[in-house]
Amino acid sequence: MNATGLQTLFLKEVRRFLRVPGQTVLSPLISTTLYFVVFGVSLGGRMEEATGQRYLPFIVPGLVFLGLANNAFLNTSSSLFIMKIQGTIVDLLVAPLGPGELLLGFVGGGMVRGLAVGLLTWLVALVFAGFQLAHPLATIGFLLGTAYVFSVLGLVAAVWAEKFEQINFFPTFVMLPLTFLGGVFYSVARLPEPWRTISHFNPMVYMVEGLRYGMLGTSSLPPSAGGSMLLALALASTAVTYALLARGYKLKQ
Amino acid sequence: MTVTRRTRAASPSVCYAAPSVTSAPVLEVEHLVKRYRDVTALAGVSLTIGAGEIFALLGPNGAGKTTLIGAVCGLVKKTSGTMRLFGVDLDSDPIGPRYDVGLVPQEVNFDPFFSVSESLKIQLGYYARPPDEARIREVLEALSLEDKANAQTRTLSGGMKRRLLIAKALVHRPKLVFLDEPTAGVDVELRRDLWAYVRRLRAEGTTVILTTHYLEEAEELADRVGIINSGRLLLVEDKVSLLRRMGEKRVRITFAGPVGALPDALDGKAVLSEDRRSLLVTERNGHPRAGEVLQQLYRSGFPVVDVDTRASRLEDVLIEILRSEARA
Repeated sequence: MNATGLQTLFLKEVRRFLRVPGQTVLSPLISTTLYFVVFGVSLGGRMEEATGQRYLPFIVPGLVFLGLANNAFLNTSSSLFIMKIQGTIVDLLVAPLGPGELLLGFVGGGMVRGLAVGLLTWLVALVFAGFQLAHPLATIGFLLGTAYVFSVLGLVAAVWAEKFEQINFFPTFVMLPLTFLGGVFYSVARLPEPWRTISHFNPMVYMVEGLRYGMLGTSSLPPSAGGSMLLALALASTAVTYALLARGYKLKQ
Repeated sequence: MTVTRRTRAASPSVCYAAPSVTSAPVLEVEHLVKRYRDVTALAGVSLTIGAGEIFALLGPNGAGKTTLIGAVCGLVKKTSGTMRLFGVDLDSDPIGPRYDVGLVPQEVNFDPFFSVSESLKIQLGYYARPPDEARIREVLEALSLEDKANAQTRTLSGGMKRRLLIAKALVHRPKLVFLDEPTAGVDVELRRDLWAYVRRLRAEGTTVILTTHYLEEAEELADRVGIINSGRLLLVEDKVSLLRRMGEKRVRITFAGPVGALPDALDGKAVLSEDRRSLLVTERNGHPRAGEVLQQLYRSGFPVVDVDTRASRLEDVLIEILRSEARA
């Protein structure tokens, strides 16, 4: 194990996104704040009438998830993809870095950015919805697990993509719809059938509800379901990514 | 001149000569094949590189030079064959030997997020070396980049970016350096500085494998030369012996005016021009000796007024080998 190489790649990835904080941290934070204003403040009253539940605190876990997942994904996907396009991937492929070091180095950087945006989103939420933390350990577990899974998925997208159009495919056509249909702004338990059942095939629902359990103490799904889903996704995505990196799929000629 | 030539049936790689490597091999490649769908980029290349030598790999565009380097450096997945770096089989340990390898890739690349010295620190880290400021300064000075240590890489000129590539390949003190077209786009003065630095590397024991389109560069630097074409290694030979063996010296002797018949002793050794004012002697592998021809002319009283000599360069030899390969 090249521990120094791994540490170097990890720190490089963190410094890379910190060099452009406006783009990597501030911009997503503003987007998430707008969600609070548009969905929470303007529509919140009507939602509270319908559900009898305070709406702003309800959407906090989902919006933290949104910021965290998107940015964890974007960090690894954009970093590796740009390295492929610019040719600097050569530096990594020639260096004594195995698939494990590459995976952990990139994913570590993606997790830091995802967690930074997620936690800053939570900080902004304090202004609108106040602070709630029912189960600290579960919250930490879901935050870390979500950051890990989406960082790894970003790496898979970057390995696979050969054009800019392809690198945007996953966040636009997979993540965005699944996130918006994943119970960020509403409880899937209140959906009519068959939508409620269909929602259970959306892995985002488990992560959002798991985070909601950790932060608010209430959830429409048991936290064990969310934990199991995260673990399964983490194991599967890690195995796939490790194999792709070890083979040099679309990285080596 | 004896030319050893294997038949194509016996091996897809044709070798005119295969001199032995006297020092311990740093790199051993055996029957390396790389195929891309319909294209065979490497057709069974075998090559041994000894420690501390400068080896120039020459050939036309698309010959397989970069593919061969890429396969050894982990950028290209081989189809078959074996590669050993520092005695370690890359199939059994593809990572370990790379701590001591450096590569200057053909394509210029740079990470726009970091400065020159940061890029070198990152490179040191990848190779498990601590951030050695003195070493970074030394490499930057050697490549005339010391003034740009804190400059962002995106602000560098094209030549400077290429020099940064060289610095990145050398900063971790590799034992084996691949220089794939290292001086393309670099001005003449810096090119000569770089040659001096490469010689210094060799003096320190570093092995250098070089590809270049500037055959003058190979002629200046290389101890041995390999010529590759269409994925086949046509020749591997000591540069001096290659030039002696395949090169020629053309000596043009000019007379004060038209001369009569040449002495019988010069029959078949020299060609008189149509205006009978000059004589051309083509010396190959020491025959015929131009000096003997001159002596004969003086003895016979020919009015020699000028002697112009032009020796073959590596470029001529390369062209000749590629032409004879095409004819074959």
